[in-house]
Amino acid sequence: MSHSPVSPIRAPLVEGHKTYHQITEDLSTPTEKRPNAAWWGAFAVALTFLTIGVICIVLTIWDGITEWNLNRTIGWGWDITNFVWWIGIGHAGTLISAILLLFRQKWRTGVNRAAEAMTIFAVMCAALFPAIHVGRIWVVFFFFPYPNSRGPLWPNFNSPLLWDLFAISTYFTVSLLFWYTGLVPDFATLRDRSKGLRRKMYNFVSFGWTGSAKHWQRHESLSLVLAGLATPLVLSVHTIVSFDFATSVIPGWHTTIFPPYFVAGAIFSGFAMVQTLMVITRKVLNLKQYITLEHIESMNKVILLTGTIVGVAYLTELFISWYSGYIYEQFAFFNRALGPYWWSYFGMMLCNVISPQLFWSKKIRRSVWWTFFMSIFVNIGMWFERFVIIATTLARDYLPSSWSYYSPSWVEIGIFLGTLGIFFTFYLLFTRLAPVVAVAEIKHILKSAGDQYIGKDAHHHHSSEITQES
Amino acid sequence: MKDNKVAIWIGQKDLNHDPKFMEEAGNEFARIPLDKMAESSTLEQVGATRRDFLKYLGFGLGAATVAAACEIPVRKAIPYVVKPDAIVPGVANYYASSFVKGGDYCAVLVKTREGRPIKIEGNDLSPVTMGGTSARAQATVLELYDVNRIKGPGRIADGLVSDGSWAAIDKEVIGALRPESKIRILSNTLLSPALHAAIAEFSAAYPNTKLVQYDAVSSAAMLIANEQQFGMKTVPDYHFDGAKVIVGFEADFLGTWISPIEYAKGYVKNRKIEHEGHATMSRHYHVESHMSLTGSNADNRILVKPSEQGAAIAALYNEIAAQTGGTRVNAPAGLNEKATAAIKAAAKDLLANKGASLVVSGSNMVSEQLLVNQINLLLGNYGKTITFEHASKQRQGDERDVARLIEEMQGGQVDVLFILGANPSFDLPQAEAFNTALEQVPLRISTNSHVDETTGRCHWGAPDHHILESWGDVEPKAGVYSLMQPTINPLFDTRQVGLSFLTWAKSAKLSTGDQPYHDFIQELWKENMFPHQSEYSVFQAFWDHTLHNGVFNAGGNTEPAYNAVDVSGLQVRKPAGEGMELSLFETVNMGAGQYANNPWLQEMPDPVNRCVWGNYLSVPVSFDGWKTIEGFAGLKDGDLVNLTSGESSLEVPVIQQFGQMDNTFGIAMGYGRTAAGRCGNDIGVNVQSLVQIDNGLFQYYRSGIQVSGKAGREDHFACVQYHHTMGVKTLDKNGDEINADEAALASVSIPFFKKTRRGFQGALTDRSIIHGAHVSELETFLEELHEQREEFQHLNAQSLYPDYSDHYSRGHHWGMHIDLNACIGCGACTVACMSENNVPVVGKHNVARHQEMTWIRIDRYFYGDFENPKTVYQPMMCQHCDNAPCENVCPVDATNHSSEGLNQMIYNRCVGTRYCANNCPYKVRRLNWADYTTADLWPINEHKINQEKVQFYADDLTRMVLNPDVTVRSRGVMEKCSFCVQRIQEGKLNAKKEDRRLLDRDVRTACQTACPTGAITFGDKNNPEGELTGKFKSPLNYIVLEETNVRSSVNYTVKVNNANEALDA
Repeated sequence: MSHSPVSPIRAPLVEGHKTYHQITEDLSTPTEKRPNAAWWGAFAVALTFLTIGVICIVLTIWDGITEWNLNRTIGWGWDITNFVWWIGIGHAGTLISAILLLFRQKWRTGVNRAAEAMTIFAVMCAALFPAIHVGRIWVVFFFFPYPNSRGPLWPNFNSPLLWDLFAISTYFTVSLLFWYTGLVPDFATLRDRSKGLRRKMYNFVSFGWTGSAKHWQRHESLSLVLAGLATPLVLSVHTIVSFDFATSVIPGWHTTIFPPYFVAGAIFSGFAMVQTLMVITRKVLNLKQYITLEHIESMNKVILLTGTIVGVAYLTELFISWYSGYIYEQFAFFNRALGPYWWSYFGMMLCNVISPQLFWSKKIRRSVWWTFFMSIFVNIGMWFERFVIIATTLARDYLPSSWSYYSPSWVEIGIFLGTLGIFFTFYLLFTRLAPVVAVAEIKHILKSAGDQYIGKDAHHHHSSEITQES
Repeated sequence: MKDNKVAIWIGQKDLNHDPKFMEEAGNEFARIPLDKMAESSTLEQVGATRRDFLKYLGFGLGAATVAAACEIPVRKAIPYVVKPDAIVPGVANYYASSFVKGGDYCAVLVKTREGRPIKIEGNDLSPVTMGGTSARAQATVLELYDVNRIKGPGRIADGLVSDGSWAAIDKEVIGALRPESKIRILSNTLLSPALHAAIAEFSAAYPNTKLVQYDAVSSAAMLIANEQQFGMKTVPDYHFDGAKVIVGFEADFLGTWISPIEYAKGYVKNRKIEHEGHATMSRHYHVESHMSLTGSNADNRILVKPSEQGAAIAALYNEIAAQTGGTRVNAPAGLNEKATAAIKAAAKDLLANKGASLVVSGSNMVSEQLLVNQINLLLGNYGKTITFEHASKQRQGDERDVARLIEEMQGGQVDVLFILGANPSFDLPQAEAFNTALEQVPLRISTNSHVDETTGRCHWGAPDHHILESWGDVEPKAGVYSLMQPTINPLFDTRQVGLSFLTWAKSAKLSTGDQPYHDFIQELWKENMFPHQSEYSVFQAFWDHTLHNGVFNAGGNTEPAYNAVDVSGLQVRKPAGEGMELSLFETVNMGAGQYANNPWLQEMPDPVNRCVWGNYLSVPVSFDGWKTIEGFAGLKDGDLVNLTSGESSLEVPVIQQFGQMDNTFGIAMGYGRTAAGRCGNDIGVNVQSLVQIDNGLFQYYRSGIQVSGKAGREDHFACVQYHHTMGVKTLDKNGDEINADEAALASVSIPFFKKTRRGFQGALTDRSIIHGAHVSELETFLEELHEQREEFQHLNAQSLYPDYSDHYSRGHHWGMHIDLNACIGCGACTVACMSENNVPVVGKHNVARHQEMTWIRIDRYFYGDFENPKTVYQPMMCQHCDNAPCENVCPVDATNHSSEGLNQMIYNRCVGTRYCANNCPYKVRRLNWADYTTADLWPINEHKINQEKVQFYADDLTRMVLNPDVTVRSRGVMEKCSFCVQRIQEGKLNAKKEDRRLLDRDVRTACQTACPTGAITFGDKNNPEGELTGKFKSPLNYIVLEETNVRSSVNYTVKVNNANEALDA
């Protein structure tokens, strides 16, 4: 295997002079040991939330959307806010897997597995909302274009909601495939270390992986193809989600800046969620040598960049609304900032634009605590952003007679908690079933990023070996 | 294979090496020929025997039975055995009839389908209502199917009527009546000559009988004044159409006062702008403290406290008298300065229009009514805008008679009391005294339809028919008659009250026919009305003709001498000076409480405060000069306060009301019923006891009241409109004129950015929603408007698909025109729409969450001066945009455009994403949030509107009101105005059957026919001769939000006012 020459300023991405065997041990054991009390506690909490969510969803379906506080003016509230929020969170995984793979960013290997898993779970949570927010869930299959006995009646291909359906289902499929492709060699590793039923199970899911050169070659090719497929999806999914709003006639929604602004926001929030999870995971599963401060700092840099893009977008929106000379547009933004929902606008500005600027400081960027709190901040801010766009805009649009105000019912809050429950339940199960850091991929980069090769205390002969190899 | 020791063997044949078996075993893919299989011998080899088959069948049947045992509601459809002649399934029949409730009257056509009355339309032939209707008339059809109606005669105990029979009750009543018995019949105004005749028959049998009429919202003072002055105890005939200047003192003549449909029709004649070139319109001053529907339509509202009304009338009188040589009256001091100046200006306008002006007052003080009469007399209005030939009979009640009755009852001088439709135990201010006295009456019989507050205190219930089940006649105005005919067989074992009296009187006029009361009326008409006409020589022909038309006019009063009275000694009420005052008023929908159990009326927003399901104390608003509009004492909408007057204190919710005079308050009567029925109980607060009695007459105001600060919060503040204004001007802290509401749009201000203190000036006024102008500046304004519209149209013409707009130039292209100058905001259209289109009622809690379902609403905006704003009403419904934003966003094509320009909803395609509603600039789309109409298969989650036991709309009786031409929508689907597409289809079919072009009269929407003022015109934009095409040419037209390029099919006119601008500042 040949490596590019490693720049001396590149910090090592695997610390602790790990051998290949140690890597296997470190990353596989969490799936083999009995879970500790912390895991059980977290799992219980997640399951409780999940149960609350299920109850609230059943209530909504049973009784109707009247269980929510939406109204004749504000047709979408927490439901679509949560939908866009979760979809946004689901962006980091594919970005890390696909775009960073194409850009040959090696630090992706430390976090890509968890990020991809997170993507899948987040998209699942997101996809829940379009299904349950409708008035008649028992006919949602009307959305699907298939030759049916109702005419056949095709869906309306002009509708952004339909585009959404395609965008999200494609994204989910590709992300799932990508994630699974990466898991196959690791499942094989787990299989080789286990016995009995467990061995059979991993044998089944690893598709009979033997590690032959042909397998590796196919694996690499498939990964590359999927990366190629997924890369445009990173941009398209949230672009299309933004079309839900951008193609409407409602001032504050009808905005051409939405596609890039939504994509940047999605990556921003996705990375924040990855940070939230990684900071906890590396501590709990003792993976600090694989998910290093280097990783954290890299992701904070992405957060700083995308946060700034989002901030510029907010200001551009304000400027354009004023510059448009169009009273409805001007009022929509006046209302966002100073209307009855001003607190959500300022919450959004504070969390999304101002607080990420702290990451200009290297010290803060490399601080685990700062990172954790900032990631929570960003998650909150991005939730506010969607709420501002959706509910605030609808609350006061064209006709003042119809202006309204909206705050969620407990059922709506319950469903949101429920999706958090679903997300963490799945994530916790995932940490028990698969290595949260990609074993095979870490081994790939060990020689070019392990501290025993490129770090300050690297053995000299190792360095010379690398030089020779390249 | 031949070795027996092989471990695996298949059956005995294998062990025995049966050659046939061995052969078959070697042939893996053996095929059994189908024809062989069919042979019975082969079938016998099949494992399942006939017994098994029966077992499986039995089990399957059993399982299916168990599974199917889940109850599915049975909906029965039973065909006619013998089809009645007049009924063709699917074709509506219309019967001319009359809506009457107390003094409320409307000539109507009742639409019946398959023998069920389902809709009320106006009767164009009536000279009184002229085809107009009111919300109350529209809603009466729901009253017919009220589940709380008394089902039959019987003894009343614990709020229930026991099963009885008419024979039993007749025996009981006749047995109790003696010729010398002191009998009193208590009712509201009775408009039926036949019923009066029946009571006369009864009185002949029992000479000590007296009919006591009263009206909870009384016009007794006017009756007394006219009796004193002109010798006629009646309400005169007002001709608002002849008045160029109108001054109203509290009289809500467009909403509730005496004959609002008639008055509104006359009023708008001079308000519509026909020729924009030199536009003229009447001028209307209204003197009041609380904004009434009429006041909101006025050009100038003159704010006076309720106690200043007398002083205001006297001031006007003195102004007029000074110029016309009348004697001055002693006007009490204390009228506020602004009002004094305004009265002067009004007097000037009145004097300039002698004989073409009108002054009316809702005052219930004889002296004040005499003064008003005198003003009209001095202005020469009698014989012109006020006549007596067809004097109104719609208010005949005199509450002094009730006071006398209470005394009599208290003194044990009443042996038998009949309650005839009235509900004194609720609506009298002295209800408690009445109730105590009532206990002294040995026999109390109620003919009311419900076990209401009064009936619950009676011994016997002898329920009357609903008007739609009744024969009857009405004389709303002298010499103006209309008939009432049954449109359905009585639903319950009820009997017409007239018949009851004839029966109890053992009258000789009681025929033995099937319909004795019908015969009685006929006889009466033969005697009294038939001779008054010459067209028909045979009575039956006359009767049939009149019954068909529903109305008949004959004779009338002779005009009295217009005598003057000596005014010098008249004492009007004295202004109470400083301190808080309260006015009590009647709302369009609730009356004095008699409409409380009608969910359509409860859910109809009050035109002025836009609240539903309850009465709210109107508190004045003020502006802090910076950015906050706040209610009196910082009160917010829905706060509870203690309203104290003397000893009594009530907890009432408040609403901040623009146009409410400073330091005055207003609250509607007719709420807080406790025995109205399942939907009407405990809605709002009962304030009847706050009505004062002065000289025996009800006075609807109080001075010296106290309103506390916030004492709590109402559970559900149900108001359909949160933002009320479209630019109300006042001065800010720096003394600059600003729009206070636009300043208040900011909930926060940025500390270092001083400009934010002005909010966003122009945020409301620059919108193209309402255009208004003063009549004198109309031409200049229209030029500007046209310029603006041209710019919009130029921008809209820029298209990537330039040929797109030509889709609707052939065939029909439906459109609507709404004249904002004609719309008075009365709300008849909203109830008509609910009735026509099966629009669900959602109840207070859900309206509070803005989940109401109305397809048409009347947006009400205040504009102009902050303290004394003007009002504009804007009916808003689906605009049927030809470039509809709702259509392209629907993922399942559930809403799309018809070839005739209709934006249509396909309910069974709808998934309920609500995207269309979000994308509607007019916010007219409504989701079925819950299962309001029990259209779901299983009634598991029925939606209760007022904690009723059986869900409103769930019972078969109430569902009889549903229009079978309109789908009942299930939970989760979107709906909205369809331009009454069922009526369009019907009209098209009728035209086709008659092989002719479609005419305007073929298709008229429910809102259009309900409107008393003709504000709504529907039609085909492609019909060059159509009325709509004519209206679409008016230069006053504009399209709401035209710049959004959604291409609405609805045109509105510019709202024009004729305010005396000298007073506006």
